[in-house]
Amino acid sequence: MSNAIDQTRRMLSLVTYLRERPGARVSEVARAFGVTEAELIGDLNVLPLCGTSFRGGDLLDIDTDGERIWWHNPGTADDVAQPLRLAADEATALLVAARAVANLPGLRDSDRQALQRAGTKLEAAAGEAAGASAHLSVTFESEGSVFATVDRAITERRRLWMRYYSPARDTLTEREVDPIRLFAVGHTYVEGWCRLSEDRRTFRLDRVAEIRLLDEPSDPPRIEPRDLSQGLVQPAGDDPEVVIEVGPGGRWVAEYYPHDSAEELADGGLRITLRTPDPGSLRRLALRLGRDGRIVAPAALAAEARDAAVQALAAYGE
Amino acid sequence: MAIAKAERLMNLALCLMNTRRPVSKRELRASIEAYHEVTSDDAFNRMFERDKDDLRELGLVIDTVESLDGEFGYLARSDRNRLPDIALDPEEAAALSLAAKVWQQARLAEAASGALQKLRAAGVPYEDVSSALEPRIPAPEPAFEALMVATRERKAVAFDYRKANAVRPEPRLVEPWALECWRGHWYLAGYDRDRADVRVFRLSRISGKVRARGAAAAEVPDHVDVREAVARWAGEGATAVTARIRLRRDSGYPLRARAVATTPVDADWDELEVPYGHGLDAWLAEFGPDVVVLAPEELRAEVVDRLRAVAKG
Repeated sequence: MSNAIDQTRRMLSLVTYLRERPGARVSEVARAFGVTEAELIGDLNVLPLCGTSFRGGDLLDIDTDGERIWWHNPGTADDVAQPLRLAADEATALLVAARAVANLPGLRDSDRQALQRAGTKLEAAAGEAAGASAHLSVTFESEGSVFATVDRAITERRRLWMRYYSPARDTLTEREVDPIRLFAVGHTYVEGWCRLSEDRRTFRLDRVAEIRLLDEPSDPPRIEPRDLSQGLVQPAGDDPEVVIEVGPGGRWVAEYYPHDSAEELADGGLRITLRTPDPGSLRRLALRLGRDGRIVAPAALAAEARDAAVQALAAYGE
Repeated sequence: MAIAKAERLMNLALCLMNTRRPVSKRELRASIEAYHEVTSDDAFNRMFERDKDDLRELGLVIDTVESLDGEFGYLARSDRNRLPDIALDPEEAAALSLAAKVWQQARLAEAASGALQKLRAAGVPYEDVSSALEPRIPAPEPAFEALMVATRERKAVAFDYRKANAVRPEPRLVEPWALECWRGHWYLAGYDRDRADVRVFRLSRISGKVRARGAAAAEVPDHVDVREAVARWAGEGATAVTARIRLRRDSGYPLRARAVATTPVDADWDELEVPYGHGLDAWLAEFGPDVVVLAPEELRAEVVDRLRAVAKG
């Protein structure tokens, strides 16, 4: 991950950091800089080759025994070791993130206030560089009161009871859940151990119809949190395949549903192939699409959608 | 052996920061080993220009000064590069560290950690935060980075855009104003020059490269509310118009949650009044035989039309 630009950025800050902290521990510096100890040692190998003149021998005299880091000539480097102002990208990244999280409905007031205070101070310190952050914003959708209840349950290690809506079945089910963490990716979710299915489940907060904090302690089994970097929906290789053909008006399906392939069709539409553990959940999609698309396979799903439409039409006298 | 780029950049930065007078290109070439090793003048000049740009990208302010004999000199003045004092208490520092983790987009993720490194070097306390809350901003589409830079630098851009129902993408010429992520999707708001009006674009519908097209000219409003525009289009804003539907008991919870009025009809059915915005017909069709539209007639016809298409197979 370490390209030359990021390494330079880090080394410039390291010079300032190390000068103020003679004998700093490698492990602590690595944590403060968010890098592995090996990456940090890599930086420490480069720094003694840097200075204002390779001929004059005016180089940074930084060395390490693998455990602590020493800088022997800090007095000579006033100008090179001052804390550096933030770049536009840097100020933008921090300020936009701070505002987005601070506006998350349901966030604890103390956290919100700390973020707002930090944001104001950061804006002042960033000066001109802060201006760019005004063009970028992120909104996390969240149900404030549900969020606050889940957050409290996690902190107090208590079990939750909820009525939860499943769009695939259009039903509400009651379940008890031992919450593990809250995460927001556009919408906000709670990941937890569901006592109804005795399995790990992810619940979207805006689908929680009712929620209560129970007195029972939460006791989820130790599980690795899901890796979210690959997206929220990660179909398994052996999930059944569904093929959907859409016209131009149904192209949005490819934006919303993670899929294996989307082939362009002559009419400007797409032939989309995706996998899902529960093809029945796509009946809703088939009904929604109307003339903008249809299920090609499996045949049973196509028939199910057809039957539902015929039944629905009966109410309109057809 | 070629000297690593990071070492070269670092040396250039140190030379520029450690001087009180402008240093000429010639002097820099003499005191930085990596430059000294480049034999061709052209290659050195290109490398030097690129390196200066890279350092500026990292936030370094480099002044260019022309001397009396017409030679250019460079320096990074300490007063212009110093981070002003910033005192964050441990709580504020921890909150900021947590927020900095939200980016999944490579450039902003690196920028966020770079900013934290600068702050920690400046003495901001380091708090090891572990939190049960993990907000994540989804990594946006390829067009994002070019649009972010164009927005910041007030540049017009050209790109191919496919509208929701369009068969083919069309070229657009836009002055970008603001980027916003809402419900996990990125949108761009800006002035569409060909349409001479404000437009909102969804980044996932931009195809191909975003090309720069010179300086932007239209006046930027003080406040650009992308989210409001998208929500209004999606029929989610306040709407006074409602539709009347019948809904089977125990089904359609989200419709019930949004209904402005609900009345039981008989043992199996309720009658609901729901806000009538864009896309309601498609949503109601999803419920199949559990929903019957009563009014208005136009909505009823749209839903029946969708159902007929599905019934035909």
